[in-house]
Amino acid sequence: MTQPLHSVENVQAHSLKPRYCLRLFVAGNEPNSAKAKAMLARLCDAYLRNDCQVSVVDVLQDYQAAIEYQVMVVPTLIVEWPPPVRSILGSLTDEDTVLAALGLTKEGNEP
Amino acid sequence: MSGAGPLEDDLRERLAKAEAALEALRRGEVDLVIGVDAPLAVRFRHLVEENERLTREWQTTFDALNDAAFILDADQRVIRCNKAVERVFASHAEAMIGRPCWEVVHGTSEPIPDCPMRRALLSLKRETLEMRLTDRWYRVTVDPILDASHRLARGVHVMHDITDLKSAHEERGKLQEQLQLAQKLESVGRLAGGVAHDFNNLLIIILGYGEMVLNKLHPQDPMRDWVKEILGAAKRAADLTRQLLAFSRKQTLQPVVLNLNDVLRNLDKMLRRLIGEDVSLEMLLAEDLAPVVVDPGQIEQVIMNLVVNARDAMPQGGTLLIETANVVLDDAYASSHPGVTPGTYVRLAITDTGCGMSKEIMDHIFEPFFTTKEMGKGTGLGLSTVYGIVKQSGGNIFVYSEPERGTTFKIYLRATEAEARSVGPKPDEVRTVGHEEHILVVEDDESLRKMLAGLLSELGYKVTAAANAGEAVLLVEEVGLNPDLIITDVVMPTMSGKQLVDRLQRARPDLKVLYMSGYTDDAIVHYGILDPGTPFLQKPFTRHALGMKIRELLDTDRAKPLCGTPSSP
Repeated sequence: MTQPLHSVENVQAHSLKPRYCLRLFVAGNEPNSAKAKAMLARLCDAYLRNDCQVSVVDVLQDYQAAIEYQVMVVPTLIVEWPPPVRSILGSLTDEDTVLAALGLTKEGNEP
Repeated sequence: MSGAGPLEDDLRERLAKAEAALEALRRGEVDLVIGVDAPLAVRFRHLVEENERLTREWQTTFDALNDAAFILDADQRVIRCNKAVERVFASHAEAMIGRPCWEVVHGTSEPIPDCPMRRALLSLKRETLEMRLTDRWYRVTVDPILDASHRLARGVHVMHDITDLKSAHEERGKLQEQLQLAQKLESVGRLAGGVAHDFNNLLIIILGYGEMVLNKLHPQDPMRDWVKEILGAAKRAADLTRQLLAFSRKQTLQPVVLNLNDVLRNLDKMLRRLIGEDVSLEMLLAEDLAPVVVDPGQIEQVIMNLVVNARDAMPQGGTLLIETANVVLDDAYASSHPGVTPGTYVRLAITDTGCGMSKEIMDHIFEPFFTTKEMGKGTGLGLSTVYGIVKQSGGNIFVYSEPERGTTFKIYLRATEAEARSVGPKPDEVRTVGHEEHILVVEDDESLRKMLAGLLSELGYKVTAAANAGEAVLLVEEVGLNPDLIITDVVMPTMSGKQLVDRLQRARPDLKVLYMSGYTDDAIVHYGILDPGTPFLQKPFTRHALGMKIRELLDTDRAKPLCGTPSSP
């Protein structure tokens, strides 16, 4: 039985051979960043079933990474795998947009 | 050539990203914008929300103020205002913002002369003003908000409604005034009472010896007229001191339960004679008027004084109205009239249609020797006497007057449930001469004691004099003196007359007593009341009055009760 996951870090720890590779840029625990982290944890748990690797980058700690990845605003989620690379900007509150970017529907199946 | 190269794709992609970034910014979903050189920490949503929260909180607080508050700029234009302003001025904030405060508040085209905002512009500190707007009073405060260069940037203009406070203050002022007047009368009364008391003792000696001299003189002696003149002057002086004592409320009253209507009916004829033909007298006497407890002689004096005053206020004639009524004075009335306790009262109102008086005169009318009558026409003691008697009888007196319209005096006396005794003609005069009956005189004033002893011997009595109560007790209990009557002062050092009599009557319950007193500070006299029916003689008294009173007592078979109520079962 799949254990429910409540945080991004957990998702990362349990995904050994991921189908999805995600990188979330946040600014500490600022309101939108905190919201984005929570949303992503929920989505991973509900739709990706552990089959993902998530890296969370705090730009307040590692600003250079944001420049390298050409991040313009924080929070930003970059879907690195499967290709093509896509970015979702904002606090990930619009679930449909995020799922579409991941190539998923609400039922958790690929379209 | 195909137009879409890799560069163009790259640009398109960057553009799409930029648009997405802008969109995220617009949605308020961005915490940080990444710049190439430095982070732009733009916590948009957070800041916007915080700002909105603070604005809301500020406005809520501003609107929660019950006082009408404006924020004015340095040109005195309204920048913002709260809900109370909309309430007070029955107008919307939008209609007031941008307009000068004088237009909004006062409806004038320029600042009012004493504008507090104007003053604050110069003083740079809080300025206040009390002002009336339509039917309300406001206390306006303007607190300046200063800019960095210490100039007034804004003014916080707050209008606090003080209408209730103001009327309470006015009410308090009125009460204070009445209280002060009462206190003033009280202190003048004390002074007058003190003087009158000492005068009484002197007058009683003058009158006593004067009458003795008169009796010794041969009927043809030319000096008789001179002595009569002396006695006449002393009697007039005695009348004056009596009035002063009445005003100072130090008279010894002998109150009885009576009906004021009876008193007025008995006085009717005399009053009509007194007011003359030009003034018509109307009496509206309430049926079932409750009885009151007053000294009949004193209340007659009150009525006569007020009637004489009313007559003098109507030299061209008019109407004099005397009314009686049962009234209930409630808490509300009592709270607005110092000295009044709520309860059922009998009101005696005496109204004239005369010249009336101003407030200034009204403030002084009860003061002794205050008179508006021309020199020699009034002593200025009439209304003082009235005031003193009413107050000492536990009543209240109020005056209402309008110049050229007339005056009403209203007297309130406590209603009693006891039964009134009829006010009838005075008993026939009795003889004044004694038959060697034995009288014990107790008086601490030596010259008075000597004079009394002389006077009583003159009248034909056997007299023993005691300088104080102790001596009297010694004479009766140890020496075995058995007087027919004891005449004692009410107040004496160490033991009062009442205490002395109580003690002597233990062994001799039938011992007859006559009290005498002028003003004293003793509790009995302080309250002015000996029990109804107690034989009493007010100092100063004439030989005739003394003689009559003694005969009245000695010719009664048994001793009159000394107290209205028995002190022990």
